Amino acid sequence: MSNAADVRSILELPSASSSATPVPTHKKLSLQSARKPDGISRELFSLIGPSSTTLVAQLAKPRLKQKPNLGAGSKIKWEWRPFKNGARTDALRLSHWAKATADPDAEYQFAKYNVQPATYTYSQDEYTKLLTEEEWSKEETDYLMDMVREYDTRWYVIQDRYDYPGGPERSMEDLKDRYCSVCRKLIRNRPWAGDENGKALLMNNREVLRKKYVASLESRTPEQIAEEEALYMEIKRLEQNERRFKRERDDLLRTIAGIESGLPDIVEDEMQLNGLLLDTKRSKKKGGGGADLESPSTPLFSAPIVRRPPTAKNTAYDLQHCITRTDQPALASTTKAAHQPAYLRSFKLPFPKSAIAPKVTQALAELGISHTRLALLDASASLVETKKVVDKVEYDIQVLKSRLGMQGPATAKVEEEADGMMDVDDGNDAEGEAEGEDGRAQSVVARAAPGVANRCSRRSMSISSVETSATVSTRAGTKRQRRS
Amino acid sequence: MVNYGGDEVSALVVDIGTSSVRAGYAGDDTPKAVIPTTFGYHKAAPDADAAMPDAEDSMQSGPTKFSKMYIGQYGPTVWREGMEVANPLNEGIIHDFEPISALMRHAIVDVMRCNPSEHPILVTEPAWNTPANRERMAEIMFEEFQVPAFYIANTGVLNAFAAGKGSALVIDVGQTMASVTPIVDGFVLRKGLVYSALPKLVHAHARHILVSPNAHRRGIDLYPHQLVSNKMPVEVGTPPRFTLREDRVKGTTESWRTWYETREVDEWIQSVAGVLEQGWNDQVAASRPPRQYEFPTGFNSWFAQERFSVGEQFFWHSPQLLASNPGLPKTIPALITESLRACDPELRQVLVGNVVLTGGGSLFAGFGDRLSSELARSFPHVKIHAPGNPVERRYGGWLGGSVLGSLGTFHQLWISKEEWMEHGKAIVGQRCK
Repeated sequence: MSNAADVRSILELPSASSSATPVPTHKKLSLQSARKPDGISRELFSLIGPSSTTLVAQLAKPRLKQKPNLGAGSKIKWEWRPFKNGARTDALRLSHWAKATADPDAEYQFAKYNVQPATYTYSQDEYTKLLTEEEWSKEETDYLMDMVREYDTRWYVIQDRYDYPGGPERSMEDLKDRYCSVCRKLIRNRPWAGDENGKALLMNNREVLRKKYVASLESRTPEQIAEEEALYMEIKRLEQNERRFKRERDDLLRTIAGIESGLPDIVEDEMQLNGLLLDTKRSKKKGGGGADLESPSTPLFSAPIVRRPPTAKNTAYDLQHCITRTDQPALASTTKAAHQPAYLRSFKLPFPKSAIAPKVTQALAELGISHTRLALLDASASLVETKKVVDKVEYDIQVLKSRLGMQGPATAKVEEEADGMMDVDDGNDAEGEAEGEDGRAQSVVARAAPGVANRCSRRSMSISSVETSATVSTRAGTKRQRRS
Repeated sequence: MVNYGGDEVSALVVDIGTSSVRAGYAGDDTPKAVIPTTFGYHKAAPDADAAMPDAEDSMQSGPTKFSKMYIGQYGPTVWREGMEVANPLNEGIIHDFEPISALMRHAIVDVMRCNPSEHPILVTEPAWNTPANRERMAEIMFEEFQVPAFYIANTGVLNAFAAGKGSALVIDVGQTMASVTPIVDGFVLRKGLVYSALPKLVHAHARHILVSPNAHRRGIDLYPHQLVSNKMPVEVGTPPRFTLREDRVKGTTESWRTWYETREVDEWIQSVAGVLEQGWNDQVAASRPPRQYEFPTGFNSWFAQERFSVGEQFFWHSPQLLASNPGLPKTIPALITESLRACDPELRQVLVGNVVLTGGGSLFAGFGDRLSSELARSFPHVKIHAPGNPVERRYGGWLGGSVLGSLGTFHQLWISKEEWMEHGKAIVGQRCK
């Protein structure tokens, strides 16, 4: 917007032409005449000028929300005024603040809460005819009825305050029983009796028994509680033992005679098995022993299996038609999990664990035996596992020896033991070597150079040497594997 | 107004306890006037303290026993020559009614500036109050104060009301008495009411700790500050250097001295003593930081383990101690057990779930935590209502009275003057159950 005149004025130069000056001054005057509206800054206004009305309207100063007009304008007059309480029998006039407009003769608003309970009264005649009872005198019954009225049938309070002079000790059930029986008889024998409330029978004996149970439960000594819990744990343990026994028996039967022989008479107790699986899972999760598996608060009972004894007719029919029936667990028969689909018996072949499978195949290859025979597979697998264990024991011995830092006779003794163990292994070695093609000393099946390791340890007794020997053997193993 | 059932008739509530008399308007949340129940008096002609400027406005002239009484904030705490102090309450109930009217008059007229003949007055009583006592109280109110209406309510019930409960097990630990009161539907179960002078024992134990010398220090002098003219700062544990005001020592009465020493011990208990939350354990007690305390003589010391042995007296007494004095007041757990045993088996669970802890003595450091751990040991579902606000705890009884006295439905229960004239003393027992 700056023009030549502005530049001149900034540079404090005299104006180029005198004729140019009147126009801007006139403009300026007109600008000032247009008043700056509220809510817009001076700088902004000088930029946009008075023309932008819409913007000005939006920038107008916001007004606060109008205050609500409460009380409809007029003042409320309150006055300190005595009132009459309808629940009172005397003429006490207490005062309170009330609206001056309120009706002074209106009933006190809290008097309506003064509710009197229904009471039963009886004449002497009625008492002798209906209510006579050996244990209760008329006076004591009167006293009881008074108490009940006075304390609004709050039985705990009545029982606490009940103190009939010369009367026997009454329990709360006695009091309730007497009161209810009196009311019942009165209601039944009066013509106007339409009230059903009193007709409900109070079962006195039950109440007494229940109270006794509660009391005995509370009066248990800590020893009794401990004994109860111990017994509960004992039961749980017995149950668990029985389950384990059953499972072992099942396993045994299965391995000896069951599935291999194809006999159908082994019953797979699905429920039990499922339960066991769950149990083991839970124990794994908890990481605790079997004993504290189940707390007494969450009892878990194994469902008993019901088996129908086969009738003679059925068996005869089966025999005739070559039908073998397997007993099915009654409960789980319909569920999907319990259903056993048809399968090939070859699925039951024992397979070596995936972890040791390569070693087994390697060992078999090393020995040059075809692995078609199942027993051989089994044997080799167990052989590999035994070797693993032996390696571990060996290593432990080495470590312990070095840690003990033993000398003299102690050393000799331990070595003897170690040698004793080695003898067995040596036998294995010899076998392995004999059966091996070229009698290599470092076979997979053979221990990792036991003599060398032992000698090493005898000399230096350093752990590092043992470790190196172990690593050497494994490396050798892997190399050979690659080669073969 | 109807929503919460309140209708205020400008009733006054007066709660007389061993430590203080609380008075205020029903409907307020704190008492307007709190004055000590203990008062000072002169037996002989009161010439010696005529110069005392603060003596005039608290002065009340008793008719017989006391030639002059000193009541209120500047009453017993101010040293006066030959002034005796006394407390009209014994074991929580009033045994001397003569100063009671003076105390009430001071609270209502002098402090609250009320005219008692214009207000209905609700007075509290402990649950073990005698019928003769409450009738005497009614007599004082009607005959002497000319009140239009009167009611006497049980502190146990009022404490339950202050906690907003109709049924509760109220554990009230005051200055001299500890009580356990089962409340059902606003009524005290009298068979389950138990109380003992346990706070007194705790106090005596604390005093014994302070006064008797031990391996680390000599016995502590409990001179009140009014008797110390000057003192020098001393190192921790070293003997104090102070001079007594010999002019005052001569004129100090035994009762005033004893009472003020009691105050010193109480102050020490309140600022230093505590109780372990999980029962006594030497290691835990030793691991807690010691606390420093300075007595008016200038003697100061650190208190470590011994400060926890004070609170232990509330919960456990050693078998030797029990054997040596059989009349020992019962501990809090023993009181609770005894109280619950006397209640119906079905009620026990309800009561234990509604425990209300109240009274100034329950503000003892760690008391609430210890109580909850003690209760949790023997009951499965314990809930303790213990207001965190110390005013609510100390004046729970008054607060309950304030709630009750401002209820619209309560106004039918007042004993009016008319009824008093008509029925006499018997109406008190009939109306206030």
